[in-house]
Formats: sequence, C-alpha cells, structure tokens
Amino acid sequence: MKEFRLKIITPEKTFFDGMTAEIVARTTEGDVGVLSGHSPYVANLVSGPLKIMLQNGEFRVAAVSEGAISVSADETVILASAVEWADEIDVERAKRSEEDARRRLAEYSSQKEFDLAERKLKRALNRLTLAGK
Amino acid sequence: MATANMKDVKRRIKSVESTRQITKAMELVASSKLRRAKEKAESAQPFFKALYDAMCDIAANSPISSQYTRKNIVKTALLVVIAGDRGLAGGFNHNVLKLAESRCAALREEGLKVKIMPVGKKAVEFFEKRDYELADTFQQVAEGMNIYKSREISDLIVAMFRHGEIGRAELVYTTLVSALSQEPVNIKMLPVDDFNYNKDGKAVSLTVYDPSPEEVFDGLIPKYLNGMVYGAVVDSFAAEQAARRTAMESASDNAGEMIDNLSLLYNRARQAQITQELTEIVSGSLKNR
Repeated sequence: MKEFRLKIITPEKTFFDGMTAEIVARTTEGDVGVLSGHSPYVANLVSGPLKIMLQNGEFRVAAVSEGAISVSADETVILASAVEWADEIDVERAKRSEEDARRRLAEYSSQKEFDLAERKLKRALNRLTLAGK
Repeated sequence: MATANMKDVKRRIKSVESTRQITKAMELVASSKLRRAKEKAESAQPFFKALYDAMCDIAANSPISSQYTRKNIVKTALLVVIAGDRGLAGGFNHNVLKLAESRCAALREEGLKVKIMPVGKKAVEFFEKRDYELADTFQQVAEGMNIYKSREISDLIVAMFRHGEIGRAELVYTTLVSALSQEPVNIKMLPVDDFNYNKDGKAVSLTVYDPSPEEVFDGLIPKYLNGMVYGAVVDSFAAEQAARRTAMESASDNAGEMIDNLSLLYNRARQAQITQELTEIVSGSLKNR
C-alpha cells in the first residue's frame, strides 16, 4: 500500500514523525480513516484511540487526548495535548488518576472543579480502556 | 583602636563572603533552570505553530463569523499579567508590572473597565495591594507548568468571554529575547483577529472541514488560547531565570569587589598595627638606655 507522511505533535515533543499506510482517528464526528492521497481535511479530535499502521501491516494503537487532525497533500499532522502508545501506558498511574478524578467528582463545589475533574476522568478512562484493563 | 577596627573589617569580610556564596549558588541554580525552561519553551513551538497555521488556513479559506472574532460591545477588558513567584531577579518583576500598569491606564482612557488576572506570586501581591479589580489569581504555577494547568487558566478566560463578563482579553508577560535580554510584551488574546487573511487572491484550497469550518474553528480556539497562555507562562519563566542569573552574577561580582576592598583595608590596618607596635618597642628601648 502507498504510504504517506504522518506527524504527531504535542506541546512537549514531536511524538511521531514517519511513514504510514493508514491511520484511523476519532474526530468529533466519529472515526475517520486516512489513506495516502486523501483530500485535504481538517477536524477536531476527541480523546480516544488513534490507530497507526506499521510497516508490517499491523495497527499500533495510541491514546490521544483531545486535539486536531489536518490532512494535506504532502503530510498529515495530528496535534494533541498528549499522546501515548497504548502498550506503554502506565496502568497504575492511570488508575490512580481515575480514583483521584472520581473522588473530586464526588465532592466538587463549583462548575469549574466539576469540569476539570470530568475531563481528568475522561482522560484516565480513555487510557485505561486502551491499555485493555 | 586599631584592633577594634580590624575585628570589624574581618567580620564584614566574613558576612560579604557568605552573601557571595548565596548569590553564587542562586546564579548556578538559575542557569540550570534557564536551560531546562528554554528547552521547554522551544519544544512547544512546533505544536503551536501548526495550530496557528491551521487556524490561518480556515480563516483564509472561508469567511468565518465566529463569536471569538467579532468585536464585542462589553466594556470590560481582562488583563492577564504573568510575573514571577520570587524576587531577586533584577528588574524582572518590576518591568512587567510597570508595563501592565501603563497598559491598564491606556485601556481605562479608552473608557473600558479593567479586570486583572495575575499569574505568579509577585503579580498577585502587587495588584492586591493596589486598587484593582481582580479576577482569579494563580500562584506557584510557572515552574511545573503543563498543558492541563494552562488549560485551567485559558478556559476561565474563554468562559468569561462567552458569558459576556469581558469583551477583550490581553496578555502581559516577559519574553526571553536572549539569555542577556528580556522584554516585557503585551499581546492580544480575544477577540482573535490577527490571522493572515488570504486576500491576495491565492488559490483557495479545497479542504474539507468536518463538520463545518465554523465548528472546527471554534473547536480550535480554546486550544489556541491555551497554547498562548502556556507559551507565555513558559517563556516568562525562562525570562525570569535569565534575569535572576544576570542579577546574581553581578551581585557575586560586586561582593567579590567588596571583599577585595575590605581585604586591602584589613591588611593596611594590620600593617599599621605592626608598625605602631614596632615604634613603641623601639622608643621604649631607647628611653631605657
């Protein structure tokens, strides 16, 4: 299959920069697959899985917290606040932050705290789901 | 007399020496923190550049009418002022706070009410003491800054804007020009209107925006503003470290100079004492003859 260039950029570092044949990302409108030669496309991403096809034809899954995807003729760029390979997720840490988020959700005192806790819980759950626990 | 003076000088030398030790240590700490902060600020660049480009593309491809770009009639402006958590950084805090005050005065002249959102302990203290209307305040956030913490700040700003509490938001912080120079700057956050609109008739690309350009644009705005806040805080922290390093370097130099002068004084006094003792002995022996 024909390959295209994929870049995944987070504020901390460039997480991935290489060739792939296919990716599947979760946008606000649902899962979107991108193959080589895709027409220019821009959408926002919600936190969820991002599948990237490796050279051997298998998908490697990464956990993405919200971001954006931008497909252009020469490359595809994914911007995300945080990305982790699913097989490298620190399950203990994710569980801890899940508990922490649930505790905060139980005792919030303002809308702001609620929003923050909810977002944190979503991130933790996303990572736990993708890690398969 | 001479001995008392010598004791004094000795004590002062000691105290200046210990001061120099402290300033030297602070200088070293600041320069290692500066290196890390600079790396952090630089590695964030590509992300926000790509985000900004994406937004420019949307603005160029389709005429956007978003609540975030429209001029607002609300007569209150929010000034987000980012300063340090600690002092002893030369004119760092003073300069940025001075710029904030003059910007505030300028906004008031335009007939706007001004609210301040100080970030950093020094900024909070400064504005609490004076007669300003404060929004939320943030302290001790700069050093361990990450994208989620800056999101707290930027989400508050976005919420205030959407609820009509403010019609404008600006950012005042210090940018690191080089390790030796830092400059306080003032940039606009909301409403966003400084995108390079593509007016020179360049071919419009056939990009598909899912679900619509407006919605993608509005979805990107909080991330973009978050990036602005994150970038400013990280930049300001690097600038603070650079300012502190320079200040502590010159403090150490000055302490060294003081020690040199005092040692000279001490040696002179010691010499004078020896000479005097010798004179006394000689004159005594002359009398006894």
